[in-house]
Parts: sequence; structure tokens; C-alpha cells
Amino acid sequence: MIKSLAGKAIIPVAITVTGFVIVCCILLYSVMKVDMTDTAVRQATVLAGTVVKSTRYAMLQSDDENLRDIIANISSQQGVEHVRIFNKKGLIEFSSDQTEIKHYVDKKAAGCIGCHSGPTPASKLGEMQQARQFVNGKGREVIAITAPIYNEPDCFNASCHFHPSGQKVLGTLDIGLSRQPLQQSLTTMRGRMLIFTVMILILTVGGVSALLGRTILEPIRMIKNFCDALSRGDFKQTLPLLEGQMEELASSVRRVATKLEKAEMSLQEAEDRLASSERQVTGPNAASPSNDQASSRVEDPRTENRHGE
Amino acid sequence: MGSEPHAAGTPEKPIDNAEHESLRLAARERILRLRNMGNRGLWAIALFLTVSIAALNQFSFLPALPEKLKDLLGAPPPTIMISGLLILYSFSSLVLILARMIGDSISHGGFYHVAYLTGFYFFYNLAGSLEDNFWAVFAAGATILSLEGYHLWTWCSRQINSEIEEFNRLDGK
Repeated sequence: MIKSLAGKAIIPVAITVTGFVIVCCILLYSVMKVDMTDTAVRQATVLAGTVVKSTRYAMLQSDDENLRDIIANISSQQGVEHVRIFNKKGLIEFSSDQTEIKHYVDKKAAGCIGCHSGPTPASKLGEMQQARQFVNGKGREVIAITAPIYNEPDCFNASCHFHPSGQKVLGTLDIGLSRQPLQQSLTTMRGRMLIFTVMILILTVGGVSALLGRTILEPIRMIKNFCDALSRGDFKQTLPLLEGQMEELASSVRRVATKLEKAEMSLQEAEDRLASSERQVTGPNAASPSNDQASSRVEDPRTENRHGE
Repeated sequence: MGSEPHAAGTPEKPIDNAEHESLRLAARERILRLRNMGNRGLWAIALFLTVSIAALNQFSFLPALPEKLKDLLGAPPPTIMISGLLILYSFSSLVLILARMIGDSISHGGFYHVAYLTGFYFFYNLAGSLEDNFWAVFAAGATILSLEGYHLWTWCSRQINSEIEEFNRLDGK
């Protein structure tokens, strides 16, 4: 069992405050991680829409060279992991990775299996469902967005084009962005929260210890020293003025000390008087028997006074 | 003269001894019971650790809920709501334990806290966000059960000390 007053006071406070702050920090981190991931997904969705709109004219004109150039420029941006456009059958027509052009998308790949796990692929996806998070072949964490390229009147009415009006989706744009900036932000935030928790722990434990020491432990030490001096018979020690309930305790101890001092003094006086009366009694009759000494010892000091008178 | 008090004291002595012994036995039993009770907090922590190890693996050893039951239960509560409830639960539990410490009232060891915390693990698992929030539930459980265990242990130690004093008094020490 913990015997020190400081330990008894500090341990529950430290456990409670630190534990609760850690719980709050973890939950806050979790909520912020979800919020930041959602924001990153929305930004990626907007970027995918921008790419689709940027490539629209080139697609309408069937300008493959221009389209390839646009995709190469976008993929050269920092943080863009891949850009590819594939048709409804999954044949990759344009890609930032030249080796995968004219190849079918691997439906079992980490980024595709989410929709293609069942016998029929998921056709309608919400904004958040369009996003996939996976680790690519280079070992990097990626947020990828697929944006469908819809058939529009401009497409099926154009003289040069071959898409029938009944075909709703012409192809899909797939753009993958690195999660590294998001991970960096989350790591920084986690570090800051850890520092914040440690600071709270130090402040709480330090604050409680300082207050406890100042208001309770130090006055108790002073009262103990005073009582120790009293027990040694040292009545010259004084107890300084304390505060609040500690002063109530100190004044009680002072009252006890005063009464003890008075009792000690009267006892001393009584002993002195007894000794002097003994001398008076034994002085003239030095040869008196020991019975006389015994009787004088049990004599009341007040009688000695009378004797003295 | 000398034999008279001995003769008078003889019939009373065995009764005193028996009472004395029964009091000693009762005190010893109480001490043993208090020692066992003091360890309850550790048992609760051990149970919570076992549940947490299972939760760390997303309760993969349990069979998946049947679709019918899932439909019957409906959509799981949103993660933010579960997190809000976890904060509320942690706060109120800690306040209650501290109040019990101030009032010097007995604690029950925290087994019901293990049940509540297991509930949080399950709800997060149903909401699909246990991986992100596992450590929050674990930290809440570790804090609550540590404080509850500490309170129970100190309370039992104090009671044991007073029982030992009673024991010594009976032994005439």
C-alpha cells in the first residue's frame, strides 16, 4: 500500500487526467484522419473531373497525340502516381505508363478488386466509393479515383465518331494520387498530440505536487518538527503562522504545547520545592532514619509551602 | 486464599478462549476475503486484455453475422456517435470512481466496465472503424480499470490494516 500522502494524491489524478487526455487525443486524431482523407478524396474527385473536361475537346476531335500529351503532363505533376483512360471493356487506351497501353486492366489488382470482386462489377458508385486506397506496385500508398466518361450529344452527333447514342459510358478515367502528403500531415499531427499529452501530464503531476507540497506537506513537516522538539522538552521552538485549516491544526498544537509547557514548569517548580523541603527536613537532623525521607517524598508539595511559610 | 481465585476463574477460561478463537478466525477470514477482493481489479484488467487481443484481430474468430440478423439490426451507428459516447462514458466513469474514492465507498472491481468496453469494441467493429479507434477504447479501458483497481486495492489494504490491528488487539500485542 502506498503510504506517502503525495503518492496517494498524485497517482489517481495522474491516471485520470493522462488517460482521459489520451482517449480524447486518439479519438480526435481518428476523426481528423477521416476528415482529412475525405477532403483528399474530394480534391482528387475534382481533379479527375478537371482532367475529363480538359481532355474532352481532344477526344471529340479524336486527337490522340494531344490526349497523350495532356496525360503525360498531368502525370508528371508531383504526387500523381498514375493516369489512365480505358474503354468499357477495360482496354487501356492512354496511360502515363507506356507499358500498359493496349493491355486490359487487371481486375484482380488492388485498385480494381473493390468493384470487381463479384460476378457483376459495381456500376454505380458514390463519391467516396469511387475512391480506392491501396498500395501500388512501387510500394506507395495511393488514393485512386475513377471518373466515368459519358457519351454526350456532341460525341454521338459528330460526323467523325463511331459511338452509338445508346452507349452511355464511353470509357473511364483512372487517376491515382500519392497519400504521402496526407500521411505526413497525419504524422505531424500525431507527434504534436503526443507532445501535448506529455505536457499535460507534466503540468498536472507537477501542479498537484507543487500545490500539495506548498499547502499540505510543508506545513505538516513544520508541525511534525515542532512536535518532535516538544517531545525532546525543547519549548523554545516556535511554530510559524500557517494558512487556513493548517493554521487551525497549528493553533491546536500550539495550545497543547503551551499547556504542556505550563505543566512542565509547575512540575519543575514542585520538584524544586520538594527538593528544598527535603533539604530543610534532612539538614538539621542529618542522622534521621530513612523512614523520614520516605515520608517526606510522599508529602504534598502544598504542605511544603506551608512548611516554607 | 490462593486457590480461591483460581477456582473461580477455571469455568470461565475455556469460554473466553473459544470466543477469542472464533474472533481470531473471523478476522482471519475477513482478511483473506479482503485480499481476494483486492485482486479483483487485476482479474478485470486481465479479462479486458483478453477481449482487447480478440478485438485487435477484428474478432476474426467469431462467425460473421447472418445477413438476416444484419438486416434486422439495421445500419450501424455512425463512428462519430460511438466516439462521442465513448468520451461521455469515460468521463462519467472516471468522475464516479473519483467520487467513490472521496466517499471511501467500496468498488466492485470493474467487471461491468469490461462489459461496456466490449460493447464499444463491437459497435466500432460493426461500423467498420475498429482499426482506427481500437487504441481509444483500449486507453479508456486501461485508464478506467487502473483507477478502479487502484481504488479497490487501497480500500482493501486499509481494511486489512484495521483487521490486522484487531487481530493484534485480540492477541494482546
